[in-house]
Amino acid sequence: MPTLSIWLLLGVWLIGAWLRIYRQARFYQIEEYKSGRYLRWLSQSRRRWQPQRPIIAWGISSALAALMREAPDSFLPVVIVIIGGIFAVWPPPMGEVKKRFVRTSRAMRIVVTGTVAATIVIVGASILLNNLPDISALQLIVSGLIGLIVFLAAPLWLILGNILMTPVDAFLRQRFIAQAKAVLDEVRPTVIGLTGSYGKTTTKNILAHLLNGRYRAYPTPKSYNTTMGVCIAINRDLAQDYSVDYFIAEMGAYVEGEIAEICDLVNPQIGIIIEVGPQHLERFGSLENIAKAKYELIQALPPDGVGVFNWDNPHVRQMYEQGYPQTRLAVSKRLSPEEAKKQGVRFVAANITETLEGLNFAIIDTEAGEEAFIQAPLLGEHNVTNLLLATAVAVHAGMRLAEVAFRARTLQPAESRLVRQVTAQGITIINDAYSANPVGVVGALRVLGLHQQGRRLLITPGMVELGDLHEQENRKLGQVAAQYATDVILVGSKQTQPVAEGLRDAGFPEARLHIVETLQEAVRWYEQNLATGDTVLFLNDLPDTYHN
Amino acid sequence: MSTNRKTTVGVIFGGRSVEHDVSVVTGHQVMRAFNRERFDIVPIYINRQGNWFTGEPLLEIDNFKQDMTSIKGVEPCLLSPNVRHHGLIINPLAGRFARSSIIRLDVVFPALHGTHGEDGTIQGLCELADIPYVGCATLASALTNDKLMTKQVLRQSGVPVLDEVAVMRDEWLGEPNKVVERIKTVLDYPVFVKPATLGSSIGVGRADSDELLRASLDVAANFDRRILVERAAIGCVEINCSVMGYGQNIEASVLEQPVSWEEFLTYEEKYLRGGEGMKSAERIIPAPISEALTQKIQQIAIDAFQAVDGRGIARIDFLVEPDSETVYLNEINTLPGSLAFYLWQENGMGAGEVVEKLVQLARDAYADKRRNTYDYQTDLIAMTAARGLKGTKGAKSTPQQN
Repeated sequence: MPTLSIWLLLGVWLIGAWLRIYRQARFYQIEEYKSGRYLRWLSQSRRRWQPQRPIIAWGISSALAALMREAPDSFLPVVIVIIGGIFAVWPPPMGEVKKRFVRTSRAMRIVVTGTVAATIVIVGASILLNNLPDISALQLIVSGLIGLIVFLAAPLWLILGNILMTPVDAFLRQRFIAQAKAVLDEVRPTVIGLTGSYGKTTTKNILAHLLNGRYRAYPTPKSYNTTMGVCIAINRDLAQDYSVDYFIAEMGAYVEGEIAEICDLVNPQIGIIIEVGPQHLERFGSLENIAKAKYELIQALPPDGVGVFNWDNPHVRQMYEQGYPQTRLAVSKRLSPEEAKKQGVRFVAANITETLEGLNFAIIDTEAGEEAFIQAPLLGEHNVTNLLLATAVAVHAGMRLAEVAFRARTLQPAESRLVRQVTAQGITIINDAYSANPVGVVGALRVLGLHQQGRRLLITPGMVELGDLHEQENRKLGQVAAQYATDVILVGSKQTQPVAEGLRDAGFPEARLHIVETLQEAVRWYEQNLATGDTVLFLNDLPDTYHN
Repeated sequence: MSTNRKTTVGVIFGGRSVEHDVSVVTGHQVMRAFNRERFDIVPIYINRQGNWFTGEPLLEIDNFKQDMTSIKGVEPCLLSPNVRHHGLIINPLAGRFARSSIIRLDVVFPALHGTHGEDGTIQGLCELADIPYVGCATLASALTNDKLMTKQVLRQSGVPVLDEVAVMRDEWLGEPNKVVERIKTVLDYPVFVKPATLGSSIGVGRADSDELLRASLDVAANFDRRILVERAAIGCVEINCSVMGYGQNIEASVLEQPVSWEEFLTYEEKYLRGGEGMKSAERIIPAPISEALTQKIQQIAIDAFQAVDGRGIARIDFLVEPDSETVYLNEINTLPGSLAFYLWQENGMGAGEVVEKLVQLARDAYADKRRNTYDYQTDLIAMTAARGLKGTKGAKSTPQQN
């Protein structure tokens, strides 16, 4: 009999461990399977790595079983520890899920390997325990303890699974990259690389739209910007597509060398540097390191390639001044045409105005002396720079400024980036749910400020991943928000503290500042308090790992 | 297209047409004209039976003396209408031991004359494939291929053309007497009888009596369902002008005058020489006519080209009464033999410049097409699927654009 009860008990814990491994895989995935980052995330909150219910359930059921050890031949202790086990491993509610777990083959390899490892330990333990002399209750307690440890160690099983699968992943990864290279060799589009701390996806989509007015451009979908993301785009969409003239590859960098790796894969002929800013500063350590990482794109260009630079950003300007490659196009929204000509800046914007219908400005080609008036249904002044950069490439590709202006009229704002919707109650919702970064937030807040009809509510959990600049930039966000918003809801009292301070610095009335803990609370608040004509701006790019 | 990449041009020649041989010559003239430092040329040959081939050996006109399908390096191919392929599928029916592959074409250059090439068919294929192509689009190609339709459109646009009567074959076979009467109430003899869509002299007859008219109609009816009876322009000289351009920017070349016009220019003479003979035929360039008349003809040529929504290049043939300086537009050739290189040469453009300009025009036109929206999302399918097919007609609120 003890054999069966131990099998049953450990079975319960094993199933619980499987579930927990599977649940945890989502967070491991969000941290991009980087074990250090994942462990750091776990350690940030005790209930992440040491949930209380299982420990308590095991403790109580074990104690009860121990008390009843005198009753011979009783099933009661067995029943108690099994019920305790079930109670322990019963999955807690999922909570808010912004980013679902994607069952990629890599994720599944890690999950399966981790699960198998956990299973082996449990099976081994039950064989071992069954071979020990029968001391009933203690055996049950020890079994439960082993089950509990295996259950709690779910994150470690994932990490182990990842480590065990490393050679397999490396092999598959190499094969996948080689396949993407072969596809590019076969269909041979002109490759445009683009990178920057922010504005990548928007600029990419603007550029693709401009070029599509004359050629065929294929941009990497969504925000695919890692080596693997670019490979997926190539292998899935470019394979056997000979119609593409321009392949636009968005390149993100989380570590040095990542952009160089993508460049090695795609061999860009044109490179665009949008901004260097404190995005992901935490991971890089310094702005100089970020700039160095971005410059890898320019270094990867052939000597007869083309570099396109945002002159207004001092770090990017430095890259421009390095003098490589021969053909360099700089753009600026700040310089006057005369000044720009003196500085060798090719495209500038003048007379920028912004209405709710979008941006209006003139683009001046200082070299050709041409000018075109742009009316683009994009919001946020930072988009002027994005459009200038895209224009530089389009003109280089043989399009006339007038053609660029024509295409710009039909631009679409990227999904969830300053897209406006009006609810049935007549409340305007502006959603900038993607990268909330120092440049983007100012643009978004200005747009909020354009809505002069009613109350203007900002809902934000603040900006994240800014490292040393976290305090400073979030305080600034608060100060700017005070200028444009009439009401502010901060989500998450702890991380939004600097924003609240910034608001107070700027004299924002305390009564109009609300601090809540979840997004749902914020939504409930505005549903109850706002009326027709009011506007809500969501500034939010928090991964789920910040909520739990 | 990158500035530092060669442009790949696929030149199509041959074709299922009576003008197959002329097209082979034109195709080779075109291929030779391209500067190979900036252009890669892919020869695409369609033989008389309609089989497609490609391969290096097709660049040599000498290879056409024999059966070229047996030459090593010549492979079957087809121009894929699949937008993703954007070019030729080589060896499309490759079996287990062979391999198909794709050659991407940046631009297609049809050098085909007459049926299945100058009439909008190849152009339609290029539209489906979504590849820029040289010359007139489907509409202008198909329109100018039909003499009756061309005259109607030109007359609407104020371009002078000779009077004509249209005769349908079944009408002629059913009630021939009525047809002859109808012709005689409109036209005086002599008249010319022509099949509406055939590009060469075949089926064309001249008539100055009822008897000859009936005979000519019988002949013409063997070649086309639609027949054109046209007033003969007696004492006219033939003057040709080439035009090149797209949209509002159209240029006219110098004029030429084929020389055997002296006494009486018979259509037969011209047609018996055939298109191929045109290159070697004696001609006077520029045509010995007054400056004012030259300008008038050039302007009419441009107007006519715009009226048919032409683009790329054309040679427009006129009939001119020298004394009254009356001008009639006779024919628009959207893919003239030798692409009228010899006329543009007089304007200071070498053949290389002409073909490059035509490639550029093709790209401009393609860019224009890219400005149209083709992908228009509707929820019609979802609605229909939900409601059952019977309800489709009721879904009138869904806009459709194709």
